[in-house]
Amino acid sequence: MEHLFTEENKILVIIGSNGCGKSTLIRLINLLESPDCGRIYFNDKLITGNGVDKIMVRKEMSTVFQEPLLFNTSVYNNILMGLEFRGKKISGTKEIFDYLVDKLKIKDLLKRNPKSLSGGEQQRVALARALILEPKLLLLDEPLANIDQLSREELRNDLFDILRAAGRSTIYVTHDRNEAMIIADLIAVINEGRIEQFGPKDEVFRKPASEFVAKFVGVETLIEGSVAEFKDNVCRIRIQGSKNDIFAVAASARQGTKVTAAIRPEDVILYNIEVNPEFSSAMNSFMGEIIEIQDLGIFKKVEIDCGFKLVSFVTQNSIERLGLAPGKKVLASVKASSVHIMAGRQ
Amino acid sequence: MDLIWQGIKSAFFLIFSGNKEIYEIILLTLKVSGIAVIVSMVFGMPIGLLVGLNNFKSKRFVITIINTGMGLPPVAAGLFISLMLWRSGPLGIIGIMYTPSAMIIAQVLIASPIIAGVTLAAVQQINPKLKLQALSLGANKIQVLWILLKEAKLPALAAVMAGFGGVISEVGAVMMVGGNLKGQTRVLTTAIVQNVRMGDFDVAIALVIILLILTFMVNLFLTLVQQRENKTGIKDSGNNRA
Repeated sequence: MEHLFTEENKILVIIGSNGCGKSTLIRLINLLESPDCGRIYFNDKLITGNGVDKIMVRKEMSTVFQEPLLFNTSVYNNILMGLEFRGKKISGTKEIFDYLVDKLKIKDLLKRNPKSLSGGEQQRVALARALILEPKLLLLDEPLANIDQLSREELRNDLFDILRAAGRSTIYVTHDRNEAMIIADLIAVINEGRIEQFGPKDEVFRKPASEFVAKFVGVETLIEGSVAEFKDNVCRIRIQGSKNDIFAVAASARQGTKVTAAIRPEDVILYNIEVNPEFSSAMNSFMGEIIEIQDLGIFKKVEIDCGFKLVSFVTQNSIERLGLAPGKKVLASVKASSVHIMAGRQ
Repeated sequence: MDLIWQGIKSAFFLIFSGNKEIYEIILLTLKVSGIAVIVSMVFGMPIGLLVGLNNFKSKRFVITIINTGMGLPPVAAGLFISLMLWRSGPLGIIGIMYTPSAMIIAQVLIASPIIAGVTLAAVQQINPKLKLQALSLGANKIQVLWILLKEAKLPALAAVMAGFGGVISEVGAVMMVGGNLKGQTRVLTTAIVQNVRMGDFDVAIALVIILLILTFMVNLFLTLVQQRENKTGIKDSGNNRA
């Protein structure tokens, strides 16, 4: 049976493509929708089903949605709205109020009507409104998705600073793997309403359980093959449709098993072909020809034909130093420990 | 043409001469329609809110009933209230036929569906996710209704205007249940009908002008409130963005 959990003061990031059911999950946890099946426990208590005081449970949580959803009153009143609904004294929140409006840079907007604010400013107000409640569980449903690129990065940094400082139990939904990479303690990858993989961040990023997860967490090279040999925790995989073999470090592997090898682009090192592969400690070295170079901003994505398609991320500096260009022959190498093997397509 | 001109001149004379009867009629008109609108708000707004904000099986049917009610012919409302309050009718015992109370009841029956219908349309314009947001902030049902009514307050004022406009200009029902008794149940509309029937066009014109001015003043007040609210938002965006 599939299940998800998070722990106190941990940040669980739920990632998945649009429409996979991430936002529905947030609404279910916040008791804004009722599940058709399954159960939700909060603080060891069952909160789904009959006889649950939904308002009491909701008062332990607070949610920020993709849209800011502010009300037609001043920013100040919006921030305090949840406190009023919960019957909490506003006087006792002065310290956190000052901290939040300062951190979220909305001090000068307090008298304004939210209609006059930009999308990013509105979302900052929505975040203050949720955070001032000091919830036992903070639910963030793609809070940065509707904001323009420039404001998004700034708000992301401010928000993540606050989350780290507060050490608050948080469930953060996003489709942006960079956000997940920065902030997550635990990651759940959802695909079409099902949990594809759930575990600590490093495990999900380094050891994706399926091709879907691999692609989602940024693996660019997926190579199908079968295990030719397994010795001393090193597995030699015969690549399907190529005369090359690829080596991967693995705990176990059975000869003849179909597998898929996953390689992250930042783990692929490129050499000018004059370098002798014999001098490298990397077990995998492939001669290839550059097919295409794409500009991704900080990195350049280099696609190489090695009998199979291999993708490497390099900097502009490397492009210039090695004189990389489409058609140029290069040597690509990958350490066997950077090749992750998954069960292959049957 | 002379008849109209003469009528207009007499009308102004009547208005400014301090004619006691005219002022009594004006006061009663405002009292009956004012109370009727307030009572209709008490009924109509919550109904509009509840129907607009909740999803239930027979929602479409209920909306159709409300919309039909918005177009309820006043004479039908008048007939229904007459039948109820008639001496031998089910509520005849309370003895309020041909009193301002009966007129108020008839007008409530006319204005409530209008206010409910316009409120319903107004809250359906609100982003439905605001309800989820209010709930997730910990609001109970009453707090949710209140915050969403506040959110719809500008269109809700339109509901009040529509309701008031509907009843102050209505003649059929108040005539039936009020009886147009001089000094007791005579309001502007019934007095106008009476004066036209008697050929007193100057008085009729005067009363029509007064009715128009009254309607204009009430709507002007509500519009000013509405636009002031609206302006606050626009003004903010203009002044503070820089």
